[in-house]
Amino acid sequence: MSTMSSLSSLSSAPHETDELRELHDELRAVASELLGKTGSDGAADWHLIARAGWLGLEAPEAFDGADATFAEVAVILGEMGRTAARGPYPAVAVLAVGALNLLAPEAGRDRLFRDTVAGSVVPVVVLGGEPGAETPFRLTPAEDGLRLHGTAAFVPDAPEADRLLVPAVDPDGMIAVVDVDPHAPGLTVTPQPVVDATRSFGRVAAEGVAVLPDAAWRFHGDCRDAVRRLRDRAAVAVACDSLGLSEAMLGATVAYAGVREQFGRKIGSFQAVKHACADMLVQVTVARKLVAAAVRSQAQDAADAAVAASMAKSYTCAAAVDIAGKAMQLHGGMGYTWESGIHVHLKRATLNRALFGSPAAHRKRLAERYASQAPDVSGV
Amino acid sequence: MTALLGPGAVSGDLDGFRAHVAEWCRTHIPPDWRREQTGVDDEEFVRFQKAWLRELRDAGFAVPHWPTKWGGGMSVARQIVLYQELARHDAPRLVLSFVSLHHAASTLLAAGTDAQRERHLPAILDGEIWCQGFSEPEAGSDLAALKTTARREGDAYIVNGQKLWASGAMHADWCLLLARTDPSAPKRRGISYFLMDMRSPGVDVRPIRQATGESHFCEIFLDDVSVPAANLVGPENAGWRVAQETLGTERGLTMLELAERLGNGGFRWLVGQCARPGPDGTRPLDDPLVLDRLAALETELTGLRALCTDFVSDDGPGPADASIVKLYYSELLQRLTDFATEVAGLTAHTELRKPLSSGWESGAWVLDFIGSWEWTIPGGTSEIQRSIIGERGLGLPREPTGG
Repeated sequence: MSTMSSLSSLSSAPHETDELRELHDELRAVASELLGKTGSDGAADWHLIARAGWLGLEAPEAFDGADATFAEVAVILGEMGRTAARGPYPAVAVLAVGALNLLAPEAGRDRLFRDTVAGSVVPVVVLGGEPGAETPFRLTPAEDGLRLHGTAAFVPDAPEADRLLVPAVDPDGMIAVVDVDPHAPGLTVTPQPVVDATRSFGRVAAEGVAVLPDAAWRFHGDCRDAVRRLRDRAAVAVACDSLGLSEAMLGATVAYAGVREQFGRKIGSFQAVKHACADMLVQVTVARKLVAAAVRSQAQDAADAAVAASMAKSYTCAAAVDIAGKAMQLHGGMGYTWESGIHVHLKRATLNRALFGSPAAHRKRLAERYASQAPDVSGV
Repeated sequence: MTALLGPGAVSGDLDGFRAHVAEWCRTHIPPDWRREQTGVDDEEFVRFQKAWLRELRDAGFAVPHWPTKWGGGMSVARQIVLYQELARHDAPRLVLSFVSLHHAASTLLAAGTDAQRERHLPAILDGEIWCQGFSEPEAGSDLAALKTTARREGDAYIVNGQKLWASGAMHADWCLLLARTDPSAPKRRGISYFLMDMRSPGVDVRPIRQATGESHFCEIFLDDVSVPAANLVGPENAGWRVAQETLGTERGLTMLELAERLGNGGFRWLVGQCARPGPDGTRPLDDPLVLDRLAALETELTGLRALCTDFVSDDGPGPADASIVKLYYSELLQRLTDFATEVAGLTAHTELRKPLSSGWESGAWVLDFIGSWEWTIPGGTSEIQRSIIGERGLGLPREPTGG
């Protein structure tokens, strides 16, 4: 118990005001209870999630939202990682709400925003989890409107979607977001089962899907920038998940090392075990700082948001695999059993590492900033 | 104080303060100091350090972390800006007075008497140099096993023993000394904390040559040294507690400067190093593996800087936070200087001397790398830090103690 309380006390960043800290603690406690009931075996009831207000955290009040920020969504995401929760919450709260906020007001978009917050519809943005072009979808002109073509793989929660929001390049070369029914003729969503059983992905293929002119919505700012920002949000969201699951794995390992005895001693008293746990705490602590900075710059739409996102994603998602791996190792034979559940977190951590940009891909993006560096001769 | 810039003396935002520091750096940092201070003798090193301390003091930049009353009181946000700008403009570091400005001051502020503070804090700002007499030949990681004794005789304690790894002791005026006052008590409860005048009869200092070839670590031999009882810090036999309480907090404060130095100085130089064409004409920056390592290091440095900032800003840091900061900095410094040495190739091995007064990342990468063990070993080895993190930070069971 003392371990868990000291761990959670470390997770509140000093940048938060007391009021905000209290709000986040409360949100965390509610999330922990709601998600903890279901665990990783099934998804929490969507209407409960809607009623808790989680879907509308970032939505404007006009659409019954809370007008809060990504920082509050991040608290829920961390708890989802901790409990290895299932369900399309990240897809909806991070990408769909994120996209709706970036789209210009329009009757159809406004209606969907309100329905999303109410939980009566589950919209999914068709952004593939693998790196690629800004969007693989194209809109072509037709006699009675437009036609949508293209394919995206590894779209999070596409099989659960009852609406698809597809970023697509229109005949003018601008990116619009097309509102499509997953059951529309010409559109197929094929589930892509993965080793991590807590996740759902689909391959979305559009072959000349008819699009009514009022179903292609515009971003209110630069459309390419908007898509980049959505990808950064997705990357930071995955980092939040990996941080939460790392904290859970460290907590479980410390608890186990404090009760399991071998050679007549608690195994946590052996330096080999203790020092491994210490390294896990150091990694978790550094990851918390990087994730907090990335969440903050998302919430404030800061100039360095992309840099902070790449740092948080690359460090945290790589560290989470180390930490979950060490957790399995330190739990010994028990850790390797299906029953222990450590494998659930390890698989999730491994998947997170590859989702929305590998650590290497994000570091490559960071390193683009060094190219202009002149040889420094003042140094030596 | 002749400070032009005490706390709040310059109103306005951080940007204004940054511009002020930058302008000060442009007009006060001795040009070409690196070249001039490379290979100089001890006398010149001490002269340069004392002159630089006076410059910083007069600007109000020497002890921003001290309380306002003693000439500090700068907000953490401003301290970060100050350290960033000093690093960015490649200012010399206060190496000689590091123990004075940090360890001695924090001990006096936390546990000293008013008379001790009045006597030493202004003197430190005037250049009084301190060293630390903690470790001994038989008391390294197990510091509480120290054997140096202090026997009460009238108004004084008579000290006998041997201290080791006292950085800068050959230049020191005063020493923070731990000595055993009750040999019969359990080892942590029989230790007292003293302020010892290094000019006292019976003090003999001998430099030890270290792995880098420099000799700033010393042995101190203590032969019937008389330390006035008024120089006791805290109660008799409470020295262990005083040392624990003052050093943990202190560790974080010193790290703020070092982290900004590594982030703004060290990393920038490393990227500059990677932009230099090698003998075959290609630049390390053209190698994707190099770029990947650089981005990983920059990410870790960003984490380190946030760690240090939050540690200093937080009202209630966790019980192992100081150890996390020390461990992470030490090993990151080692990784960075190791990588820089590798990237810089054989040419780096021709840098035979470090510029004195420079940081732990001086750009003489091979010596910087060798010197990085001066962080992973002293002040509690990385192994000791991991045990502290495991036990105090995570509540894991203690190792059974022998004997």
